Amino acid sequence: MKFIISLAFKNLTRYKRRTIITAIAIAIGLMMYIIVDSMLMGAEAESMRNLRWYETASIRIMNTDYWNDRLSFPLDEGIQHPDKIIEVLQKNGYAATSRIQFFADMILYGEDFGEDGNIPALVTAIDTESDNDVFRFEHTLVKGTFLDPDRHEAVIGSWFAEDIGAELGYHITLLARGKGGFFEAIDVKIVGIVNCPNPNVNRSLLMVPIQLIDDYLAMEKTVTEINIALSDRADINEEIEKVKQLVDPIEKNMTIVGWEELAQDFLAIAEAKRGGTSIILLLVFIIAAVGISNTMLMAIYERIRELGMMRALGMSDSQIRLTFILEAGGIGLIGSIIGVLLGVLANIPMVVYGFNFSFMLRDMDIGYRIQSIMHGSWNPISILVAFLSGFILSMVSAWIPTRRALKMDIPKCLQYR
Amino acid sequence: MIRVEQVDKTYHTGDSVVRALRNVSMHIPDGQFISIAGPSGSGKTTLLNLIGCIDSVDKGEIWIDDKAVSTLGKHGKTEFRRSHLGFIFQTYNLIPVLTAYENVAFVLSILSVPEEEIKERTLRILEEVGLKGMEQRRPDKLSGGQQQRIAIARALIKHPKIVLADEPTANLDSKTGKEILALMKQMNQRYGTTFVFSTHDQMVMDYAGRLVQLHDGQIVSDDSRSTQ
Repeated sequence: MKFIISLAFKNLTRYKRRTIITAIAIAIGLMMYIIVDSMLMGAEAESMRNLRWYETASIRIMNTDYWNDRLSFPLDEGIQHPDKIIEVLQKNGYAATSRIQFFADMILYGEDFGEDGNIPALVTAIDTESDNDVFRFEHTLVKGTFLDPDRHEAVIGSWFAEDIGAELGYHITLLARGKGGFFEAIDVKIVGIVNCPNPNVNRSLLMVPIQLIDDYLAMEKTVTEINIALSDRADINEEIEKVKQLVDPIEKNMTIVGWEELAQDFLAIAEAKRGGTSIILLLVFIIAAVGISNTMLMAIYERIRELGMMRALGMSDSQIRLTFILEAGGIGLIGSIIGVLLGVLANIPMVVYGFNFSFMLRDMDIGYRIQSIMHGSWNPISILVAFLSGFILSMVSAWIPTRRALKMDIPKCLQYR
Repeated sequence: MIRVEQVDKTYHTGDSVVRALRNVSMHIPDGQFISIAGPSGSGKTTLLNLIGCIDSVDKGEIWIDDKAVSTLGKHGKTEFRRSHLGFIFQTYNLIPVLTAYENVAFVLSILSVPEEEIKERTLRILEEVGLKGMEQRRPDKLSGGQQQRIAIARALIKHPKIVLADEPTANLDSKTGKEILALMKQMNQRYGTTFVFSTHDQMVMDYAGRLVQLHDGQIVSDDSRSTQ
């Protein structure tokens, strides 16, 4: 065994240039994999955070009928006793806030916007006192002030404001159906612009005080949803069960869902992108396998007489195979070590500074809830898998060419030119 | 004792059929220094390969001592070669990345001989073939004659019963060839190892204790003579 290992190691130095080129090909592949995986993992983690902080909260409580018909935002199917539920939740240590979401026709006036017009908008009525306990819009305000609960005011996302040409002080009218189906027009003034890190929200956010909507749309203190914030490490399913126990005695027919259920579009995209990483890894492996296989094929056929000699002197096929497999493993090991080192080094600035994709993300929805800088993240398991895969696959790749050579008769090997 | 009994061997290359050996029989007693001679294509290498268990007979049998080696399977032949046979090749077939010492020692490594014994036996055999002081040199730093000495040491280190040498001096000048033959003869006498070598070189034929001539796959003469 010692001889076999020693021979395999020495054979690595026989064709130094070829060994280095093959190892570099593996290294570059692994480095690319580590970087891409890090960026996708980082984007996924940041997206999940931005989803919970600005879009879905951790847990949402809704009336089951509202949940079943949620795409049409039925105000008639609201939560009847939101204050009681929130009180109980807060007593039990939960940060919770109620909201009303509804569709409105947003009328823009030529006086402010240059020309008259209207566009559909998803309006979110928030409880200004408790919303910041669950969502984090307060810290994203870039212009103006936040909402005053007693005034006809609106806060708008910065990309949305840019798209419609809105500025602070501009007036808009929201034309919406109230509870019961009547139409109501609500005049509001834009008092604040938020730059939210979640691009989906930043593109469409229009917030107004919940008191205003309760009054104008005759909500009679009902709301469409109650949102709860949890710590990052909380077990969502466990918490949903706990919340159910608290809500059930107050109001029946409630549906309580976690953020993952509310963000299925994102999760589907994230999964597809994870599939993409697997394809990258597969491509890396194919490159490594072809490279190693080719290198070993050349090495084996250049040494075919030597191989015949070793077989003639009594080395078994398995001993010879092991020599070549270890040699290929050596190339794989060098490539994997270099690849992991380069990948880790290249990933440091990705994690610390990130890469600014704002030029692309402003006008394009790539599914991730990231607005500008995409940060990498450390994923030791991926790095380990990439390292081991590069190493093991290299050894496996030597199997076929060795098998072919060992099928040759010994006299043919000895006479091989 | 090697016994070759009515051996036939035919090769098929594409549409052509070559009858390399036809009904060949011969006995080689232990310790002989025998040359198998003949022109190219006469079947001498084929006969050596069959005795060396690296090829299979189509018909007939080959016995080494009381073992019918021609009937052994692939694994059995590998085992037999590992334990009982030594080989010397025309082109030396040394491993270029290994030193002279390592090229010889590996034969004992695959026989799982203890490390200390490998060292002692390897240094001794290298000294016997005249390579003392060159143990750490790689083949590319040695002359053709010195490389063939390594090959001889490699063949003899496991004290095989038989050494098979296919045209061992064909790549050497006549002076070096003579030295190699003298060395092989010396080893043959010292260890009592049977040496069977193929050649078409008259000098080599003259050196042999017995000369078997092949022509078109058949033995045409078998002479025992006194050697130089």
